[in-house]
Amino acid sequence: MGAPTNGDRSPVLVCDNVSRWFGGLHALKHVNISVAKGEVFGLVGPNGSGKTTLVNAITGFYPPQEGKILFEGRQINGLKPYRIAETGIARTFQNVALFKGMSVLDNILMGRHIYMKPNPLASLFYWWWAKKEEIAHRKKVEAVIDLLQLESVRDEHVDVIPLGLQKRVELARALSAEPRLLVLDEPMAGMNQEEKEYMVRFILDAQEALGLTVLIIEHHMDVVTAICDRILVLNNGSMIAEGPPREAIADPQVVEAYIGKQRDAA
Amino acid sequence: MFYRLAGVHHTRYETARALWPIPADRKQVIVAGLIALVAPFFLSTLYLGSYMLPWLIWSSAALSLTLLMGMAGQLHFGFASVMAIGAYTSIHLARLGIPFELALIGAGAMSAVIGTVFGAAALRVKGLYLVIATLAMQYLVDWVIINVPAISGGAQATLRTPEVSFLLFPIESLTSRYYLALGWAALLAVFLMNVKRTSFGRALTAIRDKDFAAAVIGVDPFRYKLMAFFTSSFMGGVTGAMLAFCFYRAVTPEQFSFNVSIQLVAMVLVGGLGSVIGGFLGAAFVLLIPIVLTNFVAGLAASGWLAISSNLLAHVPLMIYGALIIGFLLLEPLGLAKIYDNTRKYFLVWPFRHSRS
Repeated sequence: MGAPTNGDRSPVLVCDNVSRWFGGLHALKHVNISVAKGEVFGLVGPNGSGKTTLVNAITGFYPPQEGKILFEGRQINGLKPYRIAETGIARTFQNVALFKGMSVLDNILMGRHIYMKPNPLASLFYWWWAKKEEIAHRKKVEAVIDLLQLESVRDEHVDVIPLGLQKRVELARALSAEPRLLVLDEPMAGMNQEEKEYMVRFILDAQEALGLTVLIIEHHMDVVTAICDRILVLNNGSMIAEGPPREAIADPQVVEAYIGKQRDAA
Repeated sequence: MFYRLAGVHHTRYETARALWPIPADRKQVIVAGLIALVAPFFLSTLYLGSYMLPWLIWSSAALSLTLLMGMAGQLHFGFASVMAIGAYTSIHLARLGIPFELALIGAGAMSAVIGTVFGAAALRVKGLYLVIATLAMQYLVDWVIINVPAISGGAQATLRTPEVSFLLFPIESLTSRYYLALGWAALLAVFLMNVKRTSFGRALTAIRDKDFAAAVIGVDPFRYKLMAFFTSSFMGGVTGAMLAFCFYRAVTPEQFSFNVSIQLVAMVLVGGLGSVIGGFLGAAFVLLIPIVLTNFVAGLAASGWLAISSNLLAHVPLMIYGALIIGFLLLEPLGLAKIYDNTRKYFLVWPFRHSRS
């Protein structure tokens, strides 16, 4: 699942010796990852282990103080978040970060921002200037709405739809930016079994349809083992295991990080 | 023909994104537009010149400010100074013999540039701190206008507007001034509605709602905040020129004092942040309610129903007015526009309670 059909395993995302401090807290300790094209790469670890910090480092919110981050061979650490978005990385947030004042459709249209040329004059002369562009991008967005089955809530305000749908709208917003790397921060947090299954299906569908590389943070181990090609386990900012999900999870250090060490028989 | 949503199904993106996708709304707008067009023929000079004309111009000012405060979420408590820059620029340009059309654009450009400079300085701060920073703009601009004779014409001076014509029509009679103000208000209203349905407006709203989420999909927050300051100040500058040429016909610095800025903020808040109809309703509320209240309280006092001193009489309407604004913000934070919207939605689906979609 998720394996690339062609033999191209060139790394899309490389984190080389990435470190990040918050004051005296060493939140990321020399993290190295290499995500291949078309791969679904999982980031796993207990709370506070640095998963979200690593994602924030990649997307430019907390640039690493040490190390390099390369996206398709280009160094992106040090770029502002909106520049990183332009290189072809899109993400979702752990706590849904939708634009509350807008409809579902407008939220998803926001994903097209990097391809549009917004300016006040284009708005003023809508009929001669902006209309064509708006319609063209609307068509692209409708394809994403179709893929994620959001037709029924298209015109609703985002703050009145259920959380499961809000997370799907956020995924749709990220997908409509046509990213080559999709970063998902706990897309299934707070969902029930049915919603989780839907979400997994949508992520895999999107990955297949759009040829995405996916970096996903997830706590549900059933989801992780089902969809990830490889995972990285973090604990207190350090890498403690890496590899195919089942093997990595079985690693004694990982077991210790999650449920503690068995006491010596006394 | 009661259920006004009956049969409204859009099959093309163009029509779904039309200014008024529902025919009932379109008809209302046509009726309102026709009334506005023929108003000079049936309204007395008093009503046209003292109510309709200032209402249209202050609505334009509220619409200019609501782009910045409502859509982009940047509070501005010095917007009267932006209008002052526009008013003084247009007068000086017109006095130099520059055509009025160009003087208007020059007024907008001058306001936009100065407004954006202050905006750029203020944008390192958010919320209440931005309020203080924009207040600084109000006082600095006021001070400069009063103390530079080349601008104000000397201390306590009043600058009369020269006679001008717009697209060959002389802007002299009340009717011509009314139509010019109406045209400007209509242009701003259409512009704001177009902003809301295009990428520019979405980017502004995105920054207002969640700046980090906006950044992660490629919106440069600083750039768009500056664009909001620029656009809003441009509109405010031209509106200031309209105010000078169409209504006051002479400018003094006091016309653009801090009180006026607060009134503009009140118009935007009471009307409804970011709403076009709210701009018109808010301006009407802020302009008319003090007059109505004053007449009402004075009437009560004159008829002997209310025994209060004339000193108190001058302040009671102001107190009621303040209480009304506070009451509005507590009970309906989205303003008159929301009340209008609720009513409209009720009648769109009447006699049913709500529609399916």
